[in-house]
Amino acid sequence: MSEAFSLYADRDSFIHRLHPLTKLALAGFALLGGLALPGPWLSFALLALVLVPLALLGKVLRQLLNSAWRVALPFAISVFLIQGFLWSGGTPVLGVGPLTLKQEGLLFATASTGRILTVVSTFLWFALTTRPDTLMTSLVQRGLSSNLAYIIVATIQIIPRFQQRAATILDAQRSRGLETQGGLRQRVRGILPLVVPLILSSLVDVEERALAVEARGFNHPGRKTSFIEINEGRWEASIRWGIILGMIALIGLSIWLRTI
Amino acid sequence: MIEIEKVTYSYPGTPGPALKDISLSVPEGQFCAIVGPNQAGKSTLAYAMAGYIPHFYQGRLQGEITIAGQDVRSTPLHELALTVGLIFQNPFNQISGTKFTVREEIAFGLENLGTPRGEMQKRVGEIMDLVGITHLADRSPLALSGGQMQRVAIASVLAMKPKVLILDEPTSQLDPIGSREVFSAIRALISDERITVVMIEHKLEWVAVFADRVVAMAAGEVLADGSPSEVLTDESLLKHGLGETRYTLAARRASQLGRWPRGRPLCVTLEEAVEGFKAALRS
Repeated sequence: MSEAFSLYADRDSFIHRLHPLTKLALAGFALLGGLALPGPWLSFALLALVLVPLALLGKVLRQLLNSAWRVALPFAISVFLIQGFLWSGGTPVLGVGPLTLKQEGLLFATASTGRILTVVSTFLWFALTTRPDTLMTSLVQRGLSSNLAYIIVATIQIIPRFQQRAATILDAQRSRGLETQGGLRQRVRGILPLVVPLILSSLVDVEERALAVEARGFNHPGRKTSFIEINEGRWEASIRWGIILGMIALIGLSIWLRTI
Repeated sequence: MIEIEKVTYSYPGTPGPALKDISLSVPEGQFCAIVGPNQAGKSTLAYAMAGYIPHFYQGRLQGEITIAGQDVRSTPLHELALTVGLIFQNPFNQISGTKFTVREEIAFGLENLGTPRGEMQKRVGEIMDLVGITHLADRSPLALSGGQMQRVAIASVLAMKPKVLILDEPTSQLDPIGSREVFSAIRALISDERITVVMIEHKLEWVAVFADRVVAMAAGEVLADGSPSEVLTDESLLKHGLGETRYTLAARRASQLGRWPRGRPLCVTLEEAVEGFKAALRS
């Protein structure tokens, strides 16, 4: 049977104990910094000075680095090759046969890699330290539609089950002689017998799940309560406002750095 | 507890009715099993009792259905959910899909009803104890076996304290151990909580052991209604596609060969079969 789909790493840490919205604000700050700060090196500085300490505090640095490099490395290689060699004009650094490595291309590739690394690391840090259900509960408590929250969390959690079913259908159709490998035409022809049963069986499931959720009072009018207690430290609301002010300052700093 | 009066129902766009003039009365605390071949109208009857017909499935419904004094037709589904709990075949589809632990999954319905946290914790603890799943409390509900998941689904519905529990083939995807777990949990509920249970089930060996009453259906009609011994040994039902337990089959064959004790009713359970064949050997 499939496990719940979540990157969440259960740890006893200061970061894990923070309110999900405080972590969301911190992630927003890191994301904005990574995307808004100019130049090739500032996003790396943000990674080293903000995200790595946050991951250390959350006891998830190893998992974060393990996953982040796997996502960022293919991107980094391709962007360094493409921008480094194909940069139009610029200062030559090194000649490799008919191609020349350009300094401006390398700087652009460094900046792009820094940004993608910051975005990926921010997402990973947040996912590793925050349970999706606590995030959704706290968002619902602040006015997010409970139907929307249910759809988001249930969809994420059910992904492994969907993958499992797709694999079963694929095996079943292959055992009946369906060709799913080979040329493009053959692959396209093979998609229909896989997609149709997958969609139809999922629709049946959705109907049954809708009935089951209804049977548990999902559309009961009135205020819903939460079984899990989401703790909020005394100063967390003030900290969140501080982070928002920090984000405004970051935008100002970014504009100022671009003008000098 | 459940009163069904002359109910006829047709799904939209279908030529004939799925239920034909059904009348049934189930008293409080009874374990009533509904058996019959596919397309007999068993699931349709379950949906009608739980209010999904006509609130979820449209179509033409005639007759009256009352559950614990509430008219199913005029009571909204979310109100009926407080009186009637419905369990489906596929345990996976009954898991909300949004909770990380079994404990939280069981509390899902209570959260929807706005139950205070302290009361939720108390009730979740009690229900897990009752259904025998306390050891699963901190497991992911998506990572359980079929039998465990079905018991979590039952506990989740029971947490809302329904007076009536309707189960639509709850053991169809379970192995023998999982089936026994579910049947035993239900039997315990009836004796501890005086809950009324209607279960649609194909596994007649289990029905024979656990049910108080059996209703046999075919082609949208009730063909027989009585104790497990009366209904499950009724030879006239075989031609309508209803099965019989392996013990009844063995006893019937023995009876045809003149080896079953004369005057002794055919058996439906293993224990009755053992007693019957012992008596046959003695004579």
